[in-house]
Amino acid sequence: MPKLVIEIIHGPYGRENAYAGLFIAMGWVAVGNEVIVALHGDGVYAARKGQKDPMKEISLPSVEKQVMDILEEGGRVIADRTCIEVRGLDKEMLIMGVEVLDGDDLVELVFKEGERVITL
Amino acid sequence: MVEKKTLTIMLASAPLGSQYADHMCRVALRALEKGHEVEIFLYGDAVHAQMNHQSPKLFFPVGEKLKELVVKGAKVYSCEICSVARGYISGQLTPDGKKDYSSTKVLDGIQFTTIFGFVESLARADKVLSFGGG
Repeated sequence: MPKLVIEIIHGPYGRENAYAGLFIAMGWVAVGNEVIVALHGDGVYAARKGQKDPMKEISLPSVEKQVMDILEEGGRVIADRTCIEVRGLDKEMLIMGVEVLDGDDLVELVFKEGERVITL
Repeated sequence: MVEKKTLTIMLASAPLGSQYADHMCRVALRALEKGHEVEIFLYGDAVHAQMNHQSPKLFFPVGEKLKELVVKGAKVYSCEICSVARGYISGQLTPDGKKDYSSTKVLDGIQFTTIFGFVESLARADKVLSFGGG
């Protein structure tokens, strides 16, 4: 199966990047391909659990829902451990099913699985 | 003769505000000159690169370069919903059941596609590059 890695390095809502990256990821898995969404830096906030109805509050689509949809379709969403910890987050604060990997392991995985890599 | 490969490029930033569109055009032109297939996808704010009548006095002419890329054989795709959102096309269904991509605001040769068109382009690609996302 063709593989795609999407790197997200900016937080959701302030910029379009997280939404845009997850949108591609969803399109990619929807046709039966394999996707890994790698969250680095502020990108880890995309995986934060309990984002309160962004469409109602700030007229933006929910990134949390996108992450859940991708996981449901069999995609992997992985957050960099250091990036979540320095932001005071831990695995329990992330959406169920989101993986946490040490930075080195995540980079290695991206090298291994990244036939195609997109950074957003 | 180098083996012919397909290069798929995603551009995610608008021209002028940053140099990503400029670099993307340069890389794409070189790839074409070397005999490769080039497919470009304008995503998010990058759809502004398709605007007609761009005339930067001093900066890199992204509009002109996109036209040149099309003439030289690159396929330039533009994100449909991003273009509808930014007022380039209506995207409404016409009576014959097709989407309306007509526009006086868009350069000739730009092809509109949904995210699935981009996904197909990614699947075809031997190499993927992204510009202006980070």
